[in-house]
Amino acid sequence: MTLVDLFRQLSLLVGLPAVLLAAAAAAVVVVARDWRLVIFAYAFLSTMLALLLSQLLPTEWALLQAVVGGLIAVMLFLSARQLRWRPAGPLSWEARWPQVASLSSFRALAVVLAAVTFWAVRDRVQLPRVDTLFRDAILWLSLLGLLGLALHEEPLHAGLALLTVLGAFELLLFALIQDRMLVGFMEGGQLLLGLAIAYLVVSRGLAFPDSAGQSDSSGRLQ
Amino acid sequence: MIAGPVALLALLFLACGLVYLLRRFETMAALLAAGVTAVLAYATWRLPLDTPVRLAGRPLWFGQQVVWAELTLQLTPASKALAVFLLALAAVSFVLAWRTYQGRTFFPFGLALVALWILVALVQPLTLAPLVIVLAAILGVFLIQAGKAGQTRGAWRQLLFPTLAVPFFLVASWYINQAPLNPDDRTPYRVAAWLLIAGFCLLLQPAPLHVAIPAVAGQAPPVVAAFLWIGGQSVALFLLQRFLVTYPWLSAALDSASWLLWLGVFTAVLGGVLTAVQRSLGGIAGYAGLYDYGVLLVAMGLHGTAGLPTATWLILTRTLALLTFAAGAAEIRHHMVADRLEQLRGAASRLPWSVAALAMGGLALAGMPLTAQFASRWALLQLVTENDPRWALFLLVGAAGVLIGTVRASQACFGRLSASPVEREPLSMVLIAAVLISAGVLLGLVPQLLTAPVAAVILPLSALGP
Repeated sequence: MTLVDLFRQLSLLVGLPAVLLAAAAAAVVVVARDWRLVIFAYAFLSTMLALLLSQLLPTEWALLQAVVGGLIAVMLFLSARQLRWRPAGPLSWEARWPQVASLSSFRALAVVLAAVTFWAVRDRVQLPRVDTLFRDAILWLSLLGLLGLALHEEPLHAGLALLTVLGAFELLLFALIQDRMLVGFMEGGQLLLGLAIAYLVVSRGLAFPDSAGQSDSSGRLQ
Repeated sequence: MIAGPVALLALLFLACGLVYLLRRFETMAALLAAGVTAVLAYATWRLPLDTPVRLAGRPLWFGQQVVWAELTLQLTPASKALAVFLLALAAVSFVLAWRTYQGRTFFPFGLALVALWILVALVQPLTLAPLVIVLAAILGVFLIQAGKAGQTRGAWRQLLFPTLAVPFFLVASWYINQAPLNPDDRTPYRVAAWLLIAGFCLLLQPAPLHVAIPAVAGQAPPVVAAFLWIGGQSVALFLLQRFLVTYPWLSAALDSASWLLWLGVFTAVLGGVLTAVQRSLGGIAGYAGLYDYGVLLVAMGLHGTAGLPTATWLILTRTLALLTFAAGAAEIRHHMVADRLEQLRGAASRLPWSVAALAMGGLALAGMPLTAQFASRWALLQLVTENDPRWALFLLVGAAGVLIGTVRASQACFGRLSASPVEREPLSMVLIAAVLISAGVLLGLVPQLLTAPVAAVILPLSALGP
């Protein structure tokens, strides 16, 4: 069984289930603080996006989204592992990496408000060559991605929020243009973006005193 | 036959790899990077575009078109001018960075960055060019962070906005392709114009989207920050000009010149006013740079034929002003191990030439007499006054803010040195500062020196095609 065949086994999810699961994963990316949960949610979101893209593109091309999303998740996981917490660190939960500028309850409330906005405006949004299900997916993922960018300064969360926005955009772009080169550029670009985000995650995380990684007195990464 | 674009980009990327391997030998890496870019700048300037030449026994055609799938790369007279400018900027920046301790990754990544910026000027279709700008922004992350742990705000913000701009350009490209299918319907053009305007707002980052500029100034080494601003902003404005010339309906559908004028004036006023109240060298550099950028946007937005020459003139003079300021700020930061104004006391006694470079660079950014920017700013103010005298007044308010900020920064460097010993500036830095200051004063006294370079660029810029 090839990877593409394996991917096709998941075709049961294509359509509304994939949209709902992607929407939930995007909400987790914005709300959750735990890095493991956030990275897992992003990897899951990428898989759901790949399933949705398989309705617009040849399966092999759509599969790239899952592969790239998985690679980004691995890069971020390895970066975050370098910053893992000490078992008996003296710092409180709030003081540890990753630090976020708001409470989880506040972010959850913001997501609820985004949902209200979504229900209020969804019928007024018109996108070319996109059916209502995809329109809803694009709108919801864009809204939550932008919300994540507004709420987070921590590179891990903000970076994944940016990738969520780009994922939403891909649904629109590939509904309009089915071009092999463009698929390659978009996925390759996302991979490089993931690399830059992983670098920023390490740079930011090493500044925290409880991180396992060490920096010298000049702050230079070792 | 070797195609010019391939040769140029391949040499830059090869040099990038070589310099990366040599990065621990900073002098060698810096001189190699500066040498390669200087030689390439000279070759790009001298080699003809329309006829093949023989180089080391191999035929080379600089203007030859390279086609790969739907992508086309070609050096046009306008993109050649930009390439020469970027390569020369890189050569000067590498020398400055070598003497002002900007981080050793600057040399290899700077070469790759120049290659990507040149690629933006060469690539066709135009709507894919912002993707290359994002690649350059990704590379910029490593330059700004310079291997340091801690704040990531500057690196993140300079990456965020170009990335968000890409979707607008790509969707606009679809509308542009749809438009000829139904020539009577103007809707695709209108929608594409709005999308492109939104994309360019994110790409150009005028106020209130300016947040990356002061953040980069606060975080990145000063010469690196100046290099990123000069190169990145010039490339974004070049791309805007390419769009405006290639798609005339863009100007017609929306009054883009008016948008640029208003955004430029707002950016300049905000930058100038905020420069006056900053408490750190990085803050002053960031907001003075923002003011200068706003002035450049105003020049780009001016109606008529005078706007483009003035903008080109400003780009050349602001390069000298920003590099002079950055060289001074970098040396002061390095020796005083501080950025806040209250910690710079006594710098003038140990680093007189660096402080002089800082002051002259700041005065040039404010457009004061006897500096490189004076004549170009004066010309711009005259043009702006013809349109609306209130705009000129706003620009002068911004200039006053930059002047106050510069005076505060310079004043902070005087007084008695604190107890901790501060090493004197090296002779090489004295020479660099003297050359930069002299060049600024010379251009302030004889601005006609730039007439020929500006004239050489104007015609290709105003007629550049896709």
